Amino acid sequence: MKILIIEDNERVARFLKKGLAEVGYTTDHADNGRDGMFLAVSETYDAIIMDRMLPGGIDGLGIIVALRKDGNQTPILILSALSEVDDRILGLKSGGDDYLVKPFSFGELLARLDAILRRSQELHADSTLTLGDLCMDRLTHKVTRGEKTVMLQPREFKLLEYLMRHANQVVTRTMLLENVWDYHFDPQTNVVDVHISKLRQKIDAGSATQLLRTIRNAGYMLTNDA
Amino acid sequence: MLRLKSLRFSALTVALGYIAVSVIVLLLFAAPIQYAWHEIVEERSTERLREDAHRLENVLRRDGPDALKAVIDTMVEAQPVDDEKFILLANPSLARVVGNLPAWPRDIPAASGTYTRSFDLNGRSVQAIFIRTTLPDGYNLVVGRNTAKFQTVETLFWVGLIGAATSVLVFGVLGGLLIRSALLSEIQEISQTAAAIVAGDLSRRLPRRGGANELDILAHTVNRMLEQIELLIQGIRNVSNSIAHDLRTPLTELRARLEELTVTRPPLEETFTEIDIAVADVDRVIAIFNALLRLAEIDNGARRSGFIPVDIAKVASDAVEFYQPLAELRGISLGFDVTGDAGECIAAGDPLLLAQAIGNLIDNALKYAPHKIRVFVRTAQQSEHAVTITVSDDGPGIPDQEKIKVVERFYRSDASRGTPGVGLGLSLVAAVTKLHGGSLILSDADPGLNATMVISQRPI
Repeated sequence: MKILIIEDNERVARFLKKGLAEVGYTTDHADNGRDGMFLAVSETYDAIIMDRMLPGGIDGLGIIVALRKDGNQTPILILSALSEVDDRILGLKSGGDDYLVKPFSFGELLARLDAILRRSQELHADSTLTLGDLCMDRLTHKVTRGEKTVMLQPREFKLLEYLMRHANQVVTRTMLLENVWDYHFDPQTNVVDVHISKLRQKIDAGSATQLLRTIRNAGYMLTNDA
Repeated sequence: MLRLKSLRFSALTVALGYIAVSVIVLLLFAAPIQYAWHEIVEERSTERLREDAHRLENVLRRDGPDALKAVIDTMVEAQPVDDEKFILLANPSLARVVGNLPAWPRDIPAASGTYTRSFDLNGRSVQAIFIRTTLPDGYNLVVGRNTAKFQTVETLFWVGLIGAATSVLVFGVLGGLLIRSALLSEIQEISQTAAAIVAGDLSRRLPRRGGANELDILAHTVNRMLEQIELLIQGIRNVSNSIAHDLRTPLTELRARLEELTVTRPPLEETFTEIDIAVADVDRVIAIFNALLRLAEIDNGARRSGFIPVDIAKVASDAVEFYQPLAELRGISLGFDVTGDAGECIAAGDPLLLAQAIGNLIDNALKYAPHKIRVFVRTAQQSEHAVTITVSDDGPGIPDQEKIKVVERFYRSDASRGTPGVGLGLSLVAAVTKLHGGSLILSDADPGLNATMVISQRPI
């Protein structure tokens, strides 16, 4: 995976480069809008991580609008210190694929980056999702684990569907809140954990392999790997 | 002090304006008098002279020059020279024939007509009206009247007018100065008080004399404004103190933790554990900041532009569903009810903020309720179009004296000290309801607490 980082804060950029190198991604870095724009149009990247406020004449949103106008569909993750709901909406409307507010944890960033990378690969989702012996029919809303049928509430179904579509990928609590419940705020109590443990009971109870795992300091992952 | 300068200027301008107006009024008064004077006195006397000249001409035509001379002689006897009236008959070569003038006045023009001018009479200049007539047989007649007598009256008139104008000027300036100094002394008090307030003494108030004059009314309004400002400043001060306090605690822990790591240099595994906790400390600080930013975002009211029709019952039931597993885990029954027509639960609002507010209320209730929480959504039947969302619990409730305080930012009741949270939850609920044109009402549920959000159903 080749990622372009457009970020003027040197420390944040270094942190991102190191972290992404750690998980095996190669990165290019531009510290201003002009260079970033040049790299984005002249090279091919799997994704772009872009700061919103940039020096160099063109800001993050300007680059995104220009790229999208040009037909460039590279997934873009916007990083910004602007946290208001309207800022987020503007960022996504301009053509960004996700919006992450600074300060952020690297785990959150990586999970979201993987999610948008995956999204661009699977534009046409199958009607049936499978992971090991866990099977979900998205049309009939039927879920089975091995021979056993799993009864799920509508919201639990949506939660599992999201996890299955992002199987083998870390999903954070915030991502679940935003995508399953459409809540863009931080509930004071960690309710998501309770939902996950309830779901885990339903799909993993009685099975030898635990599919739904908690990833410490990051979130959860639905995986069949040992 | 710039304000005082401009005020001084304005008070003086007003005084000068009044003076100018008074002078104009005086002139308006004087002009008709001057006109009437001219019309009546001067025109009438000229008329009399014309009649005299005409009569004398008739005498000459009817009775000849000798009769005319006799008539003029009689008139002159009654009117010695130097007096009011002049009369002189001259032959064609302008030599004196009869009359009370010593010689034909050089200043009289050759043509017949009426002339008003000064002329030399026995070596002194006299202001007079003359009528010169050329009679048959080449005789020349001049009759005139000294106007010096009228001039005294006219002079008196002008002196009176100027005197009146001068006194208007003097009294005007004096009055202006008096008004200015009176105004200045009052304004100066206000300005001094204002300066003290600017310098930071917010407890100062403008002086009032108990009357109902303009400045008193102004002072009253400004004082009320100052009270409001003082209240707001007090609020901000409290919030800043609370922020400082609430941030200092996690920051202190964080600092201690990191410093301890550098000093003790524990084994790697333990170091990482400590760093993880440090990151959690930072996250707490970030959470407080985020909550404050969200509150600020709500408070400035800009979110109202994004209002859409929201099904309040749906938002509330989603929130209940969201918290349901947590309630089950704690053995608390969490129920949901809609009373009234569910279709009327639509209100203009921000679904995200409403969800967060209802979530906060449920979250709060979950912290304190031992057995059950009920969430009611009601469409109000009163005259006001409103939807109410009530979250009631059977917990310990909130004592009356704390009901107002719990909504304040960072306030944490003694009962809540042990539980997690930063004391912004109810502040957010109150801010969200306010944004939606309603209010948050806390009441006793006996036992427990009813927290009711009133959302106005005004059209978008």
